[in-house]
Amino acid sequence: MKKQIIETDVLIIGGGPAGLATAIHLADLMMKNVESNGESAPVKLPYKIMLLEKGGEIGNHSISGAIINPIALKELLPEISISDMPFESEVKKDEVHYLSESGKITSPFTPPYFGNHGNYLASLGKVTKWLAGIAEKKGIQIYAGFNGSEVLYENDKVIGVRSGASGIDKHGNPMENYQPATDVLAKIVIFAEGSRGSLSKTVINKFQLAKEKNPQIYSLGVKEVWEVPEGNIEEGYVAHTLGYPVDSTQFGGGFIYGLRKNMVAIGFAVGLDYADPTFDTHHAFQIFKKHPFVAKFLKGGKIVRYGAKTIPEGGYYSIPKLYADNMMIVGDTGGLVAMPSLKGIHLGMKSGMLAAQTALSALQNKNSSAQQLSMYEKLFNDSYIKTELYPVRNFRQAFEGNLYTGMLKFGAQLITGGRGFGSEKLSVKEDYKHYRPLKSFNDNTFMNKMKDELSFDKITTFDKEMDIFYSGTNHDEEQPSHIQIVSTETCQTCLEEFGAPCQRFCPADVFEIVEDTKSNKKSLTLHPSNCVHCKTCDIKDPYQNVIWNTPYGGDGPEYGTM
Amino acid sequence: MGLKIFSLMKQVPVANEMRMGSDGLMDRTKAKSIINVDCTFGLEQGLQIKKSVPDAELYVVSMGPPSFEQSLKKAISMGYDHAVILSDKRLGGSDTFATGLALATMLKSKLISQDPNDKFIIFAGRQTSDGDTAHVPSQVGENLGIPQATFVEKVEYQGDHLQVVRMIEGGHQTIDIPIPCIISVAPTAIHARRPSLVGAINAREAKVTMYGLDDIGLETTFIGLNGSPTVVSNVVDIEHTRQKVVMLDGETPSDKVNNLSKIFSNAVQTAKSSAKEKTEIKPTEKANEFPIVDFRKGASGILTWVEMTGGQISKSSLEILNPARRLADELGTKVISVLIGDNVASFANQVIGHGADEVVVVNDERLKEYSILPFTSTIAQVVKEKKPEIALFGATTSGRELAPRLGSRVKAGVTADCTSLKIGTYVNKRLKSTFSPVLESIRPTYGESKLATIIGFWCPQMATARPGTFESLPFDNERKGIVTEFTPNLTDADFISKIVNTERKEVGGQALFTADVIVSGGKPCGDLDNFQGIRDLVDALKEQGIKAEWGASRQAVDRGFAPYARQVGQTGKTVRPKIYIAVGISGAIQHVSGIKESGKIIAINIEKKANIFNAVDYGIIGDYVKVMPELIKMVKNGYTFGLKKSEDIK
Ligand SMILES: Cc1cc2nc3c(=O)[nH]c(=O)nc-3n(C[C@H](O)[C@H](O)[C@H](O)COP(=O)(O)OP(=O)(O)OC[C@H]3O[C@@H](n4cnc5c(N)ncnc54)[C@H](O)[C@@H]3O)c2cc1C
Repeated sequence: MKKQIIETDVLIIGGGPAGLATAIHLADLMMKNVESNGESAPVKLPYKIMLLEKGGEIGNHSISGAIINPIALKELLPEISISDMPFESEVKKDEVHYLSESGKITSPFTPPYFGNHGNYLASLGKVTKWLAGIAEKKGIQIYAGFNGSEVLYENDKVIGVRSGASGIDKHGNPMENYQPATDVLAKIVIFAEGSRGSLSKTVINKFQLAKEKNPQIYSLGVKEVWEVPEGNIEEGYVAHTLGYPVDSTQFGGGFIYGLRKNMVAIGFAVGLDYADPTFDTHHAFQIFKKHPFVAKFLKGGKIVRYGAKTIPEGGYYSIPKLYADNMMIVGDTGGLVAMPSLKGIHLGMKSGMLAAQTALSALQNKNSSAQQLSMYEKLFNDSYIKTELYPVRNFRQAFEGNLYTGMLKFGAQLITGGRGFGSEKLSVKEDYKHYRPLKSFNDNTFMNKMKDELSFDKITTFDKEMDIFYSGTNHDEEQPSHIQIVSTETCQTCLEEFGAPCQRFCPADVFEIVEDTKSNKKSLTLHPSNCVHCKTCDIKDPYQNVIWNTPYGGDGPEYGTM
Repeated sequence: MGLKIFSLMKQVPVANEMRMGSDGLMDRTKAKSIINVDCTFGLEQGLQIKKSVPDAELYVVSMGPPSFEQSLKKAISMGYDHAVILSDKRLGGSDTFATGLALATMLKSKLISQDPNDKFIIFAGRQTSDGDTAHVPSQVGENLGIPQATFVEKVEYQGDHLQVVRMIEGGHQTIDIPIPCIISVAPTAIHARRPSLVGAINAREAKVTMYGLDDIGLETTFIGLNGSPTVVSNVVDIEHTRQKVVMLDGETPSDKVNNLSKIFSNAVQTAKSSAKEKTEIKPTEKANEFPIVDFRKGASGILTWVEMTGGQISKSSLEILNPARRLADELGTKVISVLIGDNVASFANQVIGHGADEVVVVNDERLKEYSILPFTSTIAQVVKEKKPEIALFGATTSGRELAPRLGSRVKAGVTADCTSLKIGTYVNKRLKSTFSPVLESIRPTYGESKLATIIGFWCPQMATARPGTFESLPFDNERKGIVTEFTPNLTDADFISKIVNTERKEVGGQALFTADVIVSGGKPCGDLDNFQGIRDLVDALKEQGIKAEWGASRQAVDRGFAPYARQVGQTGKTVRPKIYIAVGISGAIQHVSGIKESGKIIAINIEKKANIFNAVDYGIIGDYVKVMPELIKMVKNGYTFGLKKSEDIK
């Protein structure tokens, strides 16, 4: 069977808040001048909008905090009142704590850019599912369970995206149930893949869209949702923490949110610019949960869901050029996250709305050249995305390597409107370049320091294996590994130099170093079916020896309520 | 000439979300729904035919509520051309007999072309996860009068016929089956392909054709709750209890292992499933409120079919003589066994010695190997002559297809895969009657989570009994019975399917589903001796006549120590042996979820804190390399974990 080809006007890759807002706004703009016939569905749009989402259902791969700044949702859906949006609660209490090993210091005021007044707690999965329902009614074709596996080019221009074949064995041979790929040709492709999109990465490289920009840097956020006894936490309660169990060389902290019906969202995010190859974000999160301040919220409760995801936090200077011929980039995969508040949902949605506006005029002008699409950049610069990101443009860079000097530098930035004392643009280096050789730590590593803390009782703290179970992740075992190792020889070098940090940075136990009992030779074994699609391996491998590709559409975690 | 493929598909709730209403009918409102997994294998076989007949038209066909549309569209996204559903409120509560009739009527009246040059093939899954009967394909086949093959693992299109390979007890059989025909596909066949994006786009546009009873011209006499020959009279939950682990201590590995002989002593038959009946959903009703109705109308006697496999009486056929004998004694009637084959009269004594009163012998060289059509005809003729009130079959791959086909022919309901058979009474409030005596056929259902009692009202009341649940009665030399010969009237039409080849030997991972003992190894077993110890233990058990198989954890499979077919756990196989032995397995929740319905679980692990010890009955802390040889030695000396040797395997 041959591959199949279909066509659309606009193709959106990714059904997160950014992709869905793009689709909804585009449909709304298209229909603005079209007389409604009074019936709600199904609407026939003048231009076809198609959205592909690799998760089996919209929301399956959505994971966030989340505290949502409702500004973009209000703008996107002006006819819907806040009380009809699927939020958990308004933020009612907003605390920031610095945790020491056993105690806490509470910040008497909410530090600048941390405030959450007027924001809403939500499960992103519920929000995206709800948005998808709205989008479907507007005549947008949403295909969940289908990945964008490859970008299609013609004359060095994007012309569409391939949704991958399936029914291929581990070695890449087609099996009897082979299902060929579908090529979707589109006038405009909009990449909304979320953090470190696998297709966005290739177009950014191919068209050098990140030239002269800071490299993107990331945090890894790991999160659990809990159901706890009545009284443990109030609905609308928000706490952010700094400090324990990460040390002052690291940028990271925890969050605890009180949701409806005694549900708690709890998580920990750490900048991936750490140097210690033994550092393990999942384990740090588990240790965090043992801290008395944190443990009290979970006492007597039970875990419901687990997940992990990276967050791009390089800020303004790490944003690549967001368009090229026939394509635009929106949301996290373009690095549109505001720091230090760690908010990307509203910015992602807003960027999608701007891209939608741009796309419609391109379609109407029958011209989707880079020049035509540069309208997106103009709209962007006039929008609140820029106003939010620009003043904190040097925020994250300041924290590279040290929390305390970071705070001082950030203080200076606050006074100077973001510039700080020094050069206008603080540079950063890629996260993977921060490792120091294992030997240089003289055993003073995270793993050694935390030795006594690394037992997990399987009641409040879990090993990765158990947590993965709660992510609901599932992958067809019969498929080529979607996690690609460039060179196994490099693994040997890495083992000697860094002790294979892949075992630690991966929050889902995809990488395992196995020792042959006879030869004592160590080698890497992959468990790609554990993967929760966080993309950390693609970012933090010291030799960039790991490439994350999309597995079969529909595979991966089943978050729903994360 | 055109070829149409009809694939029968049912939508079911996801297994672990399944709920049943107190009326014993499915409550579909809460759970997420999917295509019944077995049906996906049937769908795939339909798509495979397209490789040989590119212009074959593919129809996915279903019966159920309009909400099935979601799954019908999924089939289209896999590559089907059309979707058709029979949906009518009056069909609610239909049993398999009624379902088979309704589907066949729709196919006949709406889908099958009248032009004899147009051919069709019907594919179906083996069984549904919310019914587990495997009856419908046979019943559709009978109602359409076309040949069938069930438990099929391979299908090859050869022009005017299909060559299929089907599972039979302890092996495989290759059959040439003419088109048109119905094939039910085993879940060991080719896995269903995933939807393609193009397919999903087609599905979005596709219209599902919906028919009601009036469209297909079916009267309500034989359908719905009232027209069905069987009803579910009672449902109870099965609770799987597992007590806290007992650690087997001792100085040496040999001491530790020897503890086992005290627990599962060979002297007594232990290791019954730890299943326990919990809540009675329906209280037992008073029997004497309404007048007693005896619907047997003179039918009497208990008929059993004696299945010959490889020149021997199949073990399960001897087993069913036990409940047959008991029921006959209770009813004051006799056990009549039908023995069919080539030159089989000499086996009649054995059947009598195990409990029969009369053996009806059918000798015909064409009936040497079991084949569905002539065997259905033969037994139907015996039924007509003997008019039994009850008919029992072993739930083997033959019994499970034969009983429902026969049921459709003689107009009787069948209960599949029973684990208990009793005589009781049934109060029907609507009809203001107490039916007595009735056969209560009790069977596990919904993924072994419930026990349902099913009652049939038309004679013979038919049931198939799960192999291994009844013990055959000891052979009694003194028992007397009569032997009669019977010559059925068989036509050429009964022999249109040709058996090409019959091969009996156990194969790969499939055996995990029927093994009594499973020994599974984890990664360390691979590292240490490439699973040799695991396999040696299994071999030793087999030598003792125990159905034993080996499995592996995902870690071990990932590392190449075992094929995926042997993977046990969430992403592998869910198994239910009487004894499960987990060796060097850490006890990841994913693994445990696939073994928790096993009878008794023994774990061997060097780590005393290993998670596996939280999920098992007995634990041995020790080194794989040291413990295994001790265990193997014990088995070689005759120890079989208290299990009886099985004669079926050599
Ligand atoms: C732990 C954590 C806490 C956070 N807290 C907050 C917060 O409190 N407030 C806030 O505003 N933001 C928060 N964020 C950030 C916020 O979640 C993101 O900014 C936001 O989700 C970005 O939206 P997006 O649509 O760009 O990407 P995503 O939400 O990541 O969605 C992208 C979608 O695209 C799909 N996709 C990716 N690649 C492909 C492909 N090749 N083919 C098909 N589909 C594909 C993915 O499966 C996914 O569904 C947090 C993030 C994390 C991880």
